[in-house]
Amino acid sequence: MARIGVFICHCGENIARTVDVVSVTEVARTWPGVVYAEDYRFCCSDPGQSIIRDAIKEHNLTGLVISACSPKMHEKTFRNLAKASGMNPYLCECSNIREQCSWVHHDKEVGTEKAIDLVRMMVEKVRMNHPLEPIEAPVTKRVLVVGAGIAGIQASLDLAEAGLEVVLVERNPSIGGHMAQLSETFPTLDCSMCILSPKMSAVKEHPDIKLLTYSEVEKVEGFIGNYTVSIRKKPRYVIEDLCVGCNECVTHCVFKKPKFPDEFNEGLGKRKPVYIPFPQATPQGAFIDPETCLQLTTGKCKQTCVTACPKDCIDFEMVEEIEEVEVGAIILATGFGTYKPELLPQYGYGKLDNVYTSLQMERMLSSSGPTEGEILLKDGTAPKTVGIIHCAGSRDENANIWCSKVCCMYSLKLAHLIQEFSEAQVFNFYIDIRAAGKGYEEFYLKVIEENVMVLRGRPALIEYEEQGNNGKGNLLVHTEDTISGTKLVVPVDMVVLSLGFEPDKDAVQLAKTFNISRSPEGFFMERHVKLAPVATTTDGVYIVGGCQGPKDIPETVAQASAAAASVLGILSKDKLIREPTVARVNELNCIGCFQCEKVCPYSAIEHKEIRDHDGNLIREVALVNDSLCHGCGPCAAICPSKCIDVDGITEEQIYSQLAVL
Amino acid sequence: MLGVMVDVSDAETTSTANATFRELSTLQSFAKKLLESGTVKMVIGYSQGYTSDRAMPAFITDPEKASSLIFDKRCFHNLTMYLKTAEIKCAGKIAIVVKGCDAKALNVLLLENQIKRENLVILGLVCIGVGDPTLEKCRICNVNTPPIYDELFGKPVPNKEWTSATFTRVKELEGKSQKELWEFWVNEFNRCIKCYACREVCPICTCTRCITDKNQPQWVPTSPHSMGNFHWNLTRAFHLAGRCIGCDECERSCPADIPLSLVNWKLIKQVFEKYGFIAGMSPDDLPPMSTYVEGEEEEFIK
Repeated sequence: MARIGVFICHCGENIARTVDVVSVTEVARTWPGVVYAEDYRFCCSDPGQSIIRDAIKEHNLTGLVISACSPKMHEKTFRNLAKASGMNPYLCECSNIREQCSWVHHDKEVGTEKAIDLVRMMVEKVRMNHPLEPIEAPVTKRVLVVGAGIAGIQASLDLAEAGLEVVLVERNPSIGGHMAQLSETFPTLDCSMCILSPKMSAVKEHPDIKLLTYSEVEKVEGFIGNYTVSIRKKPRYVIEDLCVGCNECVTHCVFKKPKFPDEFNEGLGKRKPVYIPFPQATPQGAFIDPETCLQLTTGKCKQTCVTACPKDCIDFEMVEEIEEVEVGAIILATGFGTYKPELLPQYGYGKLDNVYTSLQMERMLSSSGPTEGEILLKDGTAPKTVGIIHCAGSRDENANIWCSKVCCMYSLKLAHLIQEFSEAQVFNFYIDIRAAGKGYEEFYLKVIEENVMVLRGRPALIEYEEQGNNGKGNLLVHTEDTISGTKLVVPVDMVVLSLGFEPDKDAVQLAKTFNISRSPEGFFMERHVKLAPVATTTDGVYIVGGCQGPKDIPETVAQASAAAASVLGILSKDKLIREPTVARVNELNCIGCFQCEKVCPYSAIEHKEIRDHDGNLIREVALVNDSLCHGCGPCAAICPSKCIDVDGITEEQIYSQLAVL
Repeated sequence: MLGVMVDVSDAETTSTANATFRELSTLQSFAKKLLESGTVKMVIGYSQGYTSDRAMPAFITDPEKASSLIFDKRCFHNLTMYLKTAEIKCAGKIAIVVKGCDAKALNVLLLENQIKRENLVILGLVCIGVGDPTLEKCRICNVNTPPIYDELFGKPVPNKEWTSATFTRVKELEGKSQKELWEFWVNEFNRCIKCYACREVCPICTCTRCITDKNQPQWVPTSPHSMGNFHWNLTRAFHLAGRCIGCDECERSCPADIPLSLVNWKLIKQVFEKYGFIAGMSPDDLPPMSTYVEGEEEEFIK
């Protein structure tokens, strides 16, 4: 016979205001199997917990119903309490009479009636609860980090320093990401590469970090603690370990002059098919682009690079390889994209000369960039006036609705740098200046003092001053000064579009590969926006940096270290403990149609072969992998003969819950 | 072997008989060879029934009896339902005679892992309609040539495209108001005696333990009262959504003459209009009711 204890929480006034907790308790006392019922102001408080603990012991309870807030909030608290009081924790359940009752009702009579139903249903469920034991799973103490920008680099270094093996995968020929492209960084104006490149070489040199550049993750199988990842290593056509980056192959390429747009310089410079992406590239070696190399596209080339190479490291026979690695956790640091300026026809990018993107301006300002730090117009002269348009593609219902958070600060930084390195007068066209961060407002004020003009208003149009003059002449920025309420036309020589963050072009595919969700705007979605900002709904998969949403370098680095700490928390244990609320298949009745396999979001359904004594296959049935199963239930719902049940919430329990209504 | 067709271009054809004499003898001798060579242990086909107006299923294991195979307008049964029986399941490799509509069931069974392709020789018949008068399903048939077969008997007829207009019979229901529909179905389902003939005859009702037979908990009431009848008939319909191949055998076998195919075809139509999917056209198509495709409409989530 069940001996169930029921505790009705007032949650201060949160529940008691719209639910008559005393009468709910009185009604509960009359139900069969309920041997003890009590109401208390705060069940989760220390005195509340000790009342429950005493009741468990005194009344020798076999089941516990806590009617309070959402189980998401305190289920763990009360189950731990049950465990500490000598009861199997899975005999304790929370019925939610706050979020699902008192908070959504105003009428106390209605609220009380509903609360009684909710508590009654949970009593029926607990009556059929069975003690469950946690499931143990093994752990592989190795971590996959995807993307080697500052986020991936920081996470890898933290993990490797803590003694874990790291496999760091980067899709580009060199690590470094967006940060490697930046000139100086706000608000302290340290040179981006000066602070990044030591970390890049530390990654390369670290004995516990295996760096796979020009590689992509193909497939992910398994579960937290036990992932198997297939990585596609694309051929560089240059043997990475031999190349010392002497540049001889580049010098002797059959293309005498660089001909192809340089990706690292955002198309501002040109490169050859064989090239070193940038001076500090890591690994430092050369790389051959298969899309532009004459030998690789046509098969007909004198291969002057091969003869020029003093170390025989060019190999056109190199082929793609698939490498499989076993890891226990995954950190995604796959970065972001920037808004496509072509989608803002009013600003004329690609049509008007001297309209640049913010990343192009970063490259122009970089001492290793295409102009070696000089700010030049297309005709090679220096601009006298430069306009910087904030929020290009951001905070705009016709483009991206969100604020990209860093554009205000980098636009002010660009303004400062342009005025410092040239004679030009800079105009910043902004909607609001968002300078929230340590030292950010101070930086803004400092830039204002430097006589940078700031005009509040989103420019409507950019056009040439003299129409039809073959692109000669100044640019006119049509805008409004919303502070004085006047329309303005500002002539400038150069325009910089401060583009916002967007989800990376591969985000859809990556989300599928790693089985994680995306927020409505397309960035990867965290498990909880406030309380689990780097975790995802897939256990053991973490997201850091720009792939999760717009953020600056300090925030990215903080996230990277946070994820590393979370991973360390998991992989420091020898066994993983999992919730035992998993699905079970009744093998006798399973007909092996495997519709459950199709609907399982965690790939937890396996095939089990049933054989006779002679080893002949009789039939195949579904089998649940405990380590993968989350107990979410679609398998149980779709099973046509209802032979799948989820431990802790069985069909019989659901039925009896409905039956008491 | 797949796709090999018997050349019957010069054989005589009539509009009433399906297989000509020549095609039938080809089928019989092919079946005989299969049995003689030991390729298959059994051929499931049609033979003369106990009365002259009837055909009946034949389970032929003796090569000499292959000549008893027939095919004409009396052969409306969907023989694929026997594939779910325990006896056939353990019989090893077998050959089965199928019309276009029956063959669709094979694709569903393959998709749902209920039969093994290597254990099956599919003898496809080109069928231009069975029954006298011609059955409703034959009048709207879009699969005169089976979508899957190993050996085809008869000159292939190009299959028509599926469109919303294919589902003629559902139209009479769609004109009714909600109240009229309710009354119509209460009236029809009231006659149900819960004999489960519809379930037994259905080739894709493959569960060995049906949900109706589950009594812990008892989701579907066992008694043939209104509620119990609705429970059963609607559960059956939902379990067939996106799976029913429209062979109408449930309706044919219903002793209470409940127009079950109306329910089935309404669902077939809805699945077709929503997902462009017709069950059984290929063993590789993703079943829409258990597949999520990114970008799919989710207007039911409010």
